[in-house]
Amino acid sequence: MTGTRARNPASHGSGQAPGRPGRKLLDTLLDLVDQAVVVCDASGVVRWCNGRTAVYFPGLRPGTTPDPATAGPLGQAVVASAVRFDAEFLGRRLSGHRSTVQDCSVWLVSDETGVRRCAAELRAERFRAAFLSEAGRRLGASLHHGRTARSVVELAVPALADAALLVLPPRGGHADWHRCAAPGAAVESGVLPVSSLDRVPQLGRALTGLSPRPAPCRPDGLGALGGAAPPDPGKGGESLVTALPGSGAPAGALVLVRSARAGGRPAADAALVRDFAFRAGTALSTAALYAEQAHTAAVLQSGLDPAPLPEVPGVRLGAAYRPAPDALGFGGDFYQVEPARDGGGGVKFTLGDVCGKGVEAAVLSGHVRQSLRTLTLVESRPLRVLDVLNQSLLEADSGRFASLVMGTARPGAQGTLDVVLAGGGHLPPLVLRRGGTVEAVDVGGMLVAALPDAEFGQAGVSLAPDELILLYSDGVTEARGGPTGAEEYGAERLAHDLAGCAGMPAGAIAERIALRVAEWLAGRAHDDIAVLAIQSSSPSPGSSGAAGAPR
Amino acid sequence: MTGASAVTPGVRAAFDDHLAHADETGATALALDLLRAGVTPEDILLRLIAPAQAAVGARWVSTEWSVAQEHAATHVSERVVSGVAAAAAELRPRDRAPARRVLFACTEGECHTLPARIAAEVLRLRGFDVTFLGANVLAPRLVSHMHRQGPDLVGLSCMIPVRLPAAHHLVECCRRAGTPVLAGGSGFGPGGVWARTLGADLYAPDPAVAADTLAGRWPQTPREAAPLEHLADDEYSRIVRQRPELLRRLLARLLERYPRLRDPRAEHAEAVLEDLGRLPDVVAAANYVDDPQVLTGYLSFGVEFLHARGVPTAALSDALATLSEPLRGLPRAAAHLDAGRRWLTAADLPAPPA
Repeated sequence: MTGTRARNPASHGSGQAPGRPGRKLLDTLLDLVDQAVVVCDASGVVRWCNGRTAVYFPGLRPGTTPDPATAGPLGQAVVASAVRFDAEFLGRRLSGHRSTVQDCSVWLVSDETGVRRCAAELRAERFRAAFLSEAGRRLGASLHHGRTARSVVELAVPALADAALLVLPPRGGHADWHRCAAPGAAVESGVLPVSSLDRVPQLGRALTGLSPRPAPCRPDGLGALGGAAPPDPGKGGESLVTALPGSGAPAGALVLVRSARAGGRPAADAALVRDFAFRAGTALSTAALYAEQAHTAAVLQSGLDPAPLPEVPGVRLGAAYRPAPDALGFGGDFYQVEPARDGGGGVKFTLGDVCGKGVEAAVLSGHVRQSLRTLTLVESRPLRVLDVLNQSLLEADSGRFASLVMGTARPGAQGTLDVVLAGGGHLPPLVLRRGGTVEAVDVGGMLVAALPDAEFGQAGVSLAPDELILLYSDGVTEARGGPTGAEEYGAERLAHDLAGCAGMPAGAIAERIALRVAEWLAGRAHDDIAVLAIQSSSPSPGSSGAAGAPR
Repeated sequence: MTGASAVTPGVRAAFDDHLAHADETGATALALDLLRAGVTPEDILLRLIAPAQAAVGARWVSTEWSVAQEHAATHVSERVVSGVAAAAAELRPRDRAPARRVLFACTEGECHTLPARIAAEVLRLRGFDVTFLGANVLAPRLVSHMHRQGPDLVGLSCMIPVRLPAAHHLVECCRRAGTPVLAGGSGFGPGGVWARTLGADLYAPDPAVAADTLAGRWPQTPREAAPLEHLADDEYSRIVRQRPELLRRLLARLLERYPRLRDPRAEHAEAVLEDLGRLPDVVAAANYVDDPQVLTGYLSFGVEFLHARGVPTAALSDALATLSEPLRGLPRAAAHLDAGRRWLTAADLPAPPA
């Protein structure tokens, strides 16, 4: 094999036939190929190479033998008799493979630098997109502040750092922290005195909003945090303190700890950390706001929820309360029972229904209850109480009216209970007699807060031992359901179901009526439901319970 | 003193007697006496009240007790659970490390709160920070509590399989919020098979097992679950849409075949119609979890229930036949009804009393 033949592979065999490209032209054409073409003879000496070869392997010339010194990975491949290589050389990512043409080795070497960079960027971008999507999902999953804070550090490790510490804005001299100390480790939490925050200036600045950019921090500088300090990243590692922007003040400060050995994170990290900090901050400040509002709502609601029933000798009480399901526990129905404090024993009670539902109705029902409580302290005649209540509600001008039944139940002789009722516009209470007969008690009267000169009704009923009077709101009788889904539960069905409760204690009867209505509704929407059962019981403390219970 | 021996048959009989007389005072006193005598509150809940309550249910099925008596007894049991829980809370040390938070809820439409309440109290006794949301918990209420309290776990009770679709809705809400779900209650089927179908993270046959399991391993943060594939055929929603029509046909057929049920004063007539009226919902629930066992399980209860009430158990075959016609176009529902018919044929049905 001669050098000339090797410089001109196309001439091999067929010679210079007319119409075929000449040797010079072929050399030029092969220079256009974007791969290095290197032809070595059987002894390994370079016989021919194209122009690109000089770009990738400046030291390689025809007549030399490729070795690791002059031709880097190509030389190593030749020495090792490998058929392909893929390695960095002089700032390029080179990938080559060897073919054998007759007794010559032909190496085709391409520059993959751009392709590899694109692939790496694509991977990094996919990672970023997947990470931010996961972060969005996790941070949006809960409005609970503690859970959101735990999610922040869980998400940060290992995607952004080897360990992460979140310090929340201090309140009352202390700051809550959450830490994930290593990939896969459980999140730990604790409380830090503000004084130790002062010893890490980067943290203090991040929490006061004075440091909008991530600030590096010497790893040993975090030692002042004591038990909250994240693990030391070791030699060459770094710690980065990032403020999490909230609405107004920062929602926290995130410390990202990275050790040197895992240092291969992409340079675009800074943008990713910023994106994540933004999402985490938004989630944390939304959760904090929600917690405050939920707390406010819970406090207000606890003031509006029915108070527990008192324990009063001679009276057995039961109640059930189911606000309309779409109002998150707020309802316009109400009941209250308090021991009568005028020396006569027994209880005074009210059950009412403010028209409408939800929080607006609940607020007015709170107003009505408070007014009643105050009025009954100064006025014992129920009709007079209702008159004043009517006047006061009309003057408040809420545009809503209410129906209610109020009264007293006082133990009489031999375990009887004397019930005096007054009310306006409310459904007639039902009395369950011992034998299981049910009687409606017509109280009459007009709606409260509807007309200035409304008249109210009064009635009285005497209960023998274990007999019971049931007060209920129209959410019971107007519950639509049944086989057709549109039929009202109705007064008749209520009386029938109440009759079936003969012998049961008041608590069980109230629950059972509410249950019957729930079964009737079979999951359909309903108005507020309130049931109050007042039963006479012999005041003897023995274990007789409901003496009339059938065996 | 350990549970099994502490709750002697005599103690149990006395407690049953208090339940039979709806005697809250007596029942509570008995339980508190046991507590003072050194029986653990967990044993009182699980070895006295829970089995007594199971017996109450059986007495209702057999008509030994009226539904009113069953309710009265359940009410008393609930009051005793409250009493025992309050007394046990007095004995608990106050300065303990913050515990894992558990939210307990009964599925929408679920009114049998006692087993869930007992489970909640047992977990509280084992040191968990428990909030009990009670009966009939709808998704907005559960989600709002999850946002407010950030529980580490939601305990979900489902006592009858008819509520499985509603239970699934709650499980999905929990998963979306990244909160694992502990399922419990007979509604999840034998061995909790349908708890897995619905994507619950854990199932425990009883509260003590649940507490032991949780002490050993806490479930991982769940991810949003894939929807149930078999629901893609739309059969379930078609059954639900047809419910009023199915119910109308079913009741018409039963009243035609068993005229005695027409008299509202006839003993058990109302209860029988009401219970058989659940059949369309049972078929829908079977379809939802794609398991005919939901239906055959109901039939095995129905046989006992009807037999005790003097109604021929053939009424169940009649009822299945009535539903077959309108559901003919739904292959999975039809297969479940077939399985139900085969079960009734294979079961050695007790002859109704003459």
